[in-house]
Amino acid sequence: MELTITNLSKTYSNGVKALNDVNLTIPKGMFGLLGPNGAGKSSLMRTIATLQEPDSGSIMLGDLNVLTEKDEVRKVLGYLPQEFGVYPKIDAETLLDHLAVLKGIANAKERKEIVKALLQKTNLYKFRTKNLGGFSGGMKQRFGIAQALLADPKLIIVDEPTAGLDPAERNRFHNLLAEIGENTVVILSTHIVDDVKELCTEMAIINQGEVLLTGHPEKTIDAIKGQIWRKRIEKGELDDYKKQYTVISEKMFAGKPEIRVFSETQPDPSFDAVESNLEDVYFSQINAAVKEEEADVV
Amino acid sequence: MWFKIFKFELTYRINRPATYIYFGILFLMSFLAMSTDVVRIGGGAGLVKENAPVTIATMMGILSAVFMMISSAIMGVAVLRDFEHKMESIIFTNPIKKFDYLAGRFLGSFVILLFVFSGIWMGFMLGEVMPWRDADKLLPFSAWNYFQPFLVFVVPNLFFTGALFFISGALSRKMVFVYLQWIALFIVYQVTLIITGELDNRSLAAILDPFALSTINNTTQYWTVVEQNSNTIPMEGHVLINRLIWIGLGVITLIIGYFSFSFNVVKSSWFKPKQKIQKAEKFPDVDIPKVTQTFGLAVTLKQLWKNSWFYCKDILNSVVFKAITFFGIFILVLNSFYMGRVFGMNTYPTTYQILQLISGFNLFFLIILVSFSGELIWKEREVKINLIYDAMPVKDFVNLLGKFFGMIMLFVFMLAVLMVTGVLIQVFKGYYDFDIAVYAKTLFSETLFFLVLYTLLCFFIQVIVNNKFLGYAVIILFFIATGVLSTLGVEHSMFQFAETDLGPYSDMNGYGHYVTSFSWLNIYWLGLAMILFVLATMFSVRGSEALMKIRFKVGKLRLTKPMVTFLMMSVIVFVFSGGFVYYNTNVLNTYQNSDESEAEQAEYEKTLKQYEFLNQPKIVDVNLRVDLYPKRRDYDASGTYILKNKSDEAIEQIHVQQSPGNEITLDSLYFSVDAGIEEDFEKFKYTIYKLKEPLQPGAEIKMHFKTRFVTKGFVASNQNNSVVYNGTFFNSSQFPSLGYNDGFELFTDDDRKDHDLKPKERSMERDDPRGLAHDFFGDDSDGIQFEVTISTDPEQIAVAPGYLQKEWEENGRKYFHYKMDQKMANFYSIISADYEVVRDKMSIPLDSGSKDIALEIYYHKGHEYNLERMMRSMKNSFTYFSKEFSPYQFTQMRILEFPRYASFAQSFANTVPFSEGIGFVVEIKDEDDVDIAYYVTSHELAHQWWGHQLIPANVRGAAMLSETLSQYSALMVMKHEYSMENMQEFLKEEMNRYLSGRANEQKKEMPVTLVESQNYIHYGKGAVNMFALQDYIGEDSVNMALKRFVRDWNIFVEKERYPTTVDLMGYLRAVTPDSMQYLVTDLFDKIVLFENKTETATYATKSDNKWEVELAINSKKLEADSLGVETKVPNNYWIDIGVYGEDEDGKDKLLYLQKHLIDKEDMTFKIEVDEKPTKAGIDPINKLIDRNPDDNIKKVTEQESS
Repeated sequence: MELTITNLSKTYSNGVKALNDVNLTIPKGMFGLLGPNGAGKSSLMRTIATLQEPDSGSIMLGDLNVLTEKDEVRKVLGYLPQEFGVYPKIDAETLLDHLAVLKGIANAKERKEIVKALLQKTNLYKFRTKNLGGFSGGMKQRFGIAQALLADPKLIIVDEPTAGLDPAERNRFHNLLAEIGENTVVILSTHIVDDVKELCTEMAIINQGEVLLTGHPEKTIDAIKGQIWRKRIEKGELDDYKKQYTVISEKMFAGKPEIRVFSETQPDPSFDAVESNLEDVYFSQINAAVKEEEADVV
Repeated sequence: MWFKIFKFELTYRINRPATYIYFGILFLMSFLAMSTDVVRIGGGAGLVKENAPVTIATMMGILSAVFMMISSAIMGVAVLRDFEHKMESIIFTNPIKKFDYLAGRFLGSFVILLFVFSGIWMGFMLGEVMPWRDADKLLPFSAWNYFQPFLVFVVPNLFFTGALFFISGALSRKMVFVYLQWIALFIVYQVTLIITGELDNRSLAAILDPFALSTINNTTQYWTVVEQNSNTIPMEGHVLINRLIWIGLGVITLIIGYFSFSFNVVKSSWFKPKQKIQKAEKFPDVDIPKVTQTFGLAVTLKQLWKNSWFYCKDILNSVVFKAITFFGIFILVLNSFYMGRVFGMNTYPTTYQILQLISGFNLFFLIILVSFSGELIWKEREVKINLIYDAMPVKDFVNLLGKFFGMIMLFVFMLAVLMVTGVLIQVFKGYYDFDIAVYAKTLFSETLFFLVLYTLLCFFIQVIVNNKFLGYAVIILFFIATGVLSTLGVEHSMFQFAETDLGPYSDMNGYGHYVTSFSWLNIYWLGLAMILFVLATMFSVRGSEALMKIRFKVGKLRLTKPMVTFLMMSVIVFVFSGGFVYYNTNVLNTYQNSDESEAEQAEYEKTLKQYEFLNQPKIVDVNLRVDLYPKRRDYDASGTYILKNKSDEAIEQIHVQQSPGNEITLDSLYFSVDAGIEEDFEKFKYTIYKLKEPLQPGAEIKMHFKTRFVTKGFVASNQNNSVVYNGTFFNSSQFPSLGYNDGFELFTDDDRKDHDLKPKERSMERDDPRGLAHDFFGDDSDGIQFEVTISTDPEQIAVAPGYLQKEWEENGRKYFHYKMDQKMANFYSIISADYEVVRDKMSIPLDSGSKDIALEIYYHKGHEYNLERMMRSMKNSFTYFSKEFSPYQFTQMRILEFPRYASFAQSFANTVPFSEGIGFVVEIKDEDDVDIAYYVTSHELAHQWWGHQLIPANVRGAAMLSETLSQYSALMVMKHEYSMENMQEFLKEEMNRYLSGRANEQKKEMPVTLVESQNYIHYGKGAVNMFALQDYIGEDSVNMALKRFVRDWNIFVEKERYPTTVDLMGYLRAVTPDSMQYLVTDLFDKIVLFENKTETATYATKSDNKWEVELAINSKKLEADSLGVETKVPNNYWIDIGVYGEDEDGKDKLLYLQKHLIDKEDMTFKIEVDEKPTKAGIDPINKLIDRNPDDNIKKVTEQESS
């Protein structure tokens, strides 16, 4: 099964272009959707999860038309929204069981088993009788993951799943996803580059509703191999460098800015060659897009 | 500092649109209430002007109470919003003082609150000056009339409630708690309303009412029209105490709030200890088991069930729900102490009484229904789990339907709780005859359908509007719009949502004929509700799209085959049931809204009034044949009248008026002589026949007629309750009468004005010869010979005036032939029901020998409670009346129970139909209770004299001759059977009836002798003043006068005219000593009120068995005109001075009661008694009309020995 997104566009009533002619083919396995806040990741994911209508375009899950055969899609869907809440006065086991019924798991015994297993997987089994109102952010997130995995979904959409998880939990979650992702379409959105690097076999970078890049993470890194340069500069110089070079990222290092520049050749000897990584791919795509836009304005 | 916070609060609020929306709502409501009839808020009626100070005060009180929700919204959030917006950490870490913070916020919000509620007086004032206002209904503009009640009632109301909401919001930090305060206040108000029902509790209610509505009512209850139009409600007495209490409570609330409030950001929970968070452990390595997903019907049903139960439980667990339910049941139980009170007596807690009580819970149902339908629709979105839910593979309708079923499960559960509560109330009252079937039938049909329909409607509105609070507003708007529609003349049940009336349940007739229309209307509305539900399912938001355009696009996708089938089915049900209802109400029957029927009444008058005094023959003989078919609610009737020309002129035309009832058709009508139709007013069922040969003076002709009463299908309103399955009762008005009937005319001045008719005189002048020429039963007869044969179903007994001649069965039907042996009024009843009969006998002495009288009570099986009392009352009454007035003219009396569609008893010749709703199921427990069964029986029997032996002329004062004299007669019979305390209790109710009646007078108050069908005068004042008269001049003297009166004026004596109060007064004055003539004048010819008051009462102990009581009294005598303008007149009266002691049981006992001459306003008396006095005063038994009867007596205190 493969998810094909064709010419998908969506403009909100306030004029924001959330999706702009998006075309993606998402095969089995983990697919990372990388982009800054407000890039349109969540809009895209909600649309795939049958919860939002595009203005135009189509989404096919195998033979299923996601936009019209919503019921069929929902049967094989596991969805974790970016932001969600829970009923505060109900315990985890009860709510998960209730959701399992809605998922169509009619057999009470099966339901009991899967609820138990998922609570164990997400390390919530201990708290199964505790009211959800008392859950911490991380626990709540894990509950969200548990419900998304109910009933062996064929299409899993997880929107910023690791937000609020501590590093150990995040690792566990990655393992869990990797385990499942082998024969399922898993779409994972994040703005954390490492998530994608660690997990995904395919990825897309999207910004301002447009797909900037798709491909295998390693291959995209290879594509810019040898074109990333690093230099430590003084604070006041940043603007000059930005004008002169394609600065893709800057961060502070021991109190001084360190910039990374994209260039096919070494800009000047004061720049050190560095190994390109996924972050460079990401920033080069995002910032390049921004630069283009600025140029347009000028 | 506080001023800065105050200013900030003001600026913040001034920029909030909500402030102006609230102001706008109040302004608009007030404006419309004052300037139109579309919105009505307890406004004035009749002679009380629409901008009278009392009317304005009442409207302001109601508005400030109803719109407490605005007060809670403004004041509740003043502090709370810092928590809701999670601003508290930022604000509370600033260096501000608690006082500055709270004072600034409170005052700022309160100023805004005052501004918002100023919308009331602004709206009123603007409304008053609108050019389309009717100047007759307005007083000259006076700003003070608006500001005074605003300051006295609205501002303190706002202060107290504002303080309460402010503090509860600040302390609880939850809006829910603010709403709970609102409910609690409402409860206190309800309690005051309930206890107001008892006269003795009114002062307490006036003090306790947080909104001062009961206070306004109780203060002005006896205000006359003039007083209501000219006086603002003074800030004194109960008003002052009430306002001080609630302002004081407001201050206390603020002080408590100030000390309890803390700047701590984390609130230590009042209820539960903190849960410990356990350390997380490693993820265990387990496999996720494979599961099977199924999506058949069974699973859908299971999902539905799970959802329903989930939502039901969710509401059951909510604090607000528990609070509302608890308060609702509390009110219910409290009400049960006062239910079905008649004259301070309880009726038996029969199941239908309890059901009536439970119907008071409907308001709480409505609150629950409206608020929780909003809550449920928004449930997922509010906790933000909606996206997870919406992506679940469930059918679109499962979610919504689950919520609906959840609500219904909740309601079923609540109905069961109410049923148990009802049964428990019955048990506690010692009544074990619970009718579970009636409980179940009413609650699970009428109440449940009402809930189902409104829940579906609210769901629909919430889904479509897609904004919870706007949804609530739209629902309220819907209710208002429904009301407005009906004032605009759209009254048909097919346009009044969920208006399906199951009617009053009667033990005799069950739910009767109401079942059919009830069922069809419910099917009709259910059809509509189902359509709405499908639409709600289609357009409900699933996912993150809320734009209507996109919801519409998605909605089309949701129209699956089963949904379309269901929708089509609903449409079919709606259209066809609607068609069927329409066919019944508007095709089989004639439908008229009130405007149309008023227009027809006006047209009747305009067309036919010219014939009002046309010379017509009199009906002298009536012979009827009535075949009743109770199961079909039909009858066939035929009859022969003998018409006699009693005038000096020949009569050429006979004007025949048919009963206007739609069910009645005339099959044929012909005379024993040749006659043709000259003119037929079909619309008014009024036909003019022309006799070929004029009817000469003294000559007679026969008039034969055949009518049919046919019940066809069902009607939209004005159900026919007279011909029913069990308990048929109708009177002679269903048969043809002669000439114009002024009873069909429009009555109120307002209605008449709308149709360009002059105000109608309620009665003719006392000396109007046209009125004197006929009796108050009508102008087409001076009394008749009567004979009737009635047939009915075999299990029923049919009764009419007259004596049973023969009773037989034929063709499976029962026949009864009655014949009266003497002349009787042209006023008779036809009654048929499945009766039990209890019989007794008595005899009354005659001048020569004695006469046996058969006494019978026809009652519904199970209603045996008061038969013995009624029987005793009949015997005592007949004995007393026959001895004191004249012998009873008949040899039989029958009391017949009829269904409680009406609550009265009525006297026909030897026949008294008596409603199931009064007397038969009254519980008479205490010795102190007024025995209503005994009293009503006696009153109705007295009518055999006052109304049947002596029939008054149809002029002013007629009701004094029939009703006041019957009141007096019954009082005398009671006086000899019951204690003075009983009588006092009874007279107190009658005095209240008079005093509050005159406050609501629509035209003008008349003295008793000129009474114009004014209940409060001929029953209330009549009873009190007749009692006073016999107290002053003696029972014997009054009876002597009445004896002479009935001797000279009874119907068997040939007379020129009918008697009036002039005649009665002549007899009364003849037995009154000269020194008391002024009393007769004051009691009956004038409107006189007293203000008697005891200022001080002390006693000194003279010896072991001598006490001297010293009394200072104040007594004023006032004379009022017909509008209630009072002038003080010199007092020169003999008035009771009384001293009470205590008997062994601690009950009051009169030690001294003597009349003293009161000739000055302030007087003192010294009275020696030989027992220890407890209370003393002037007119202690309240024999004289007095608006403050409570201050007549005072506790006596021991004099300080000097």
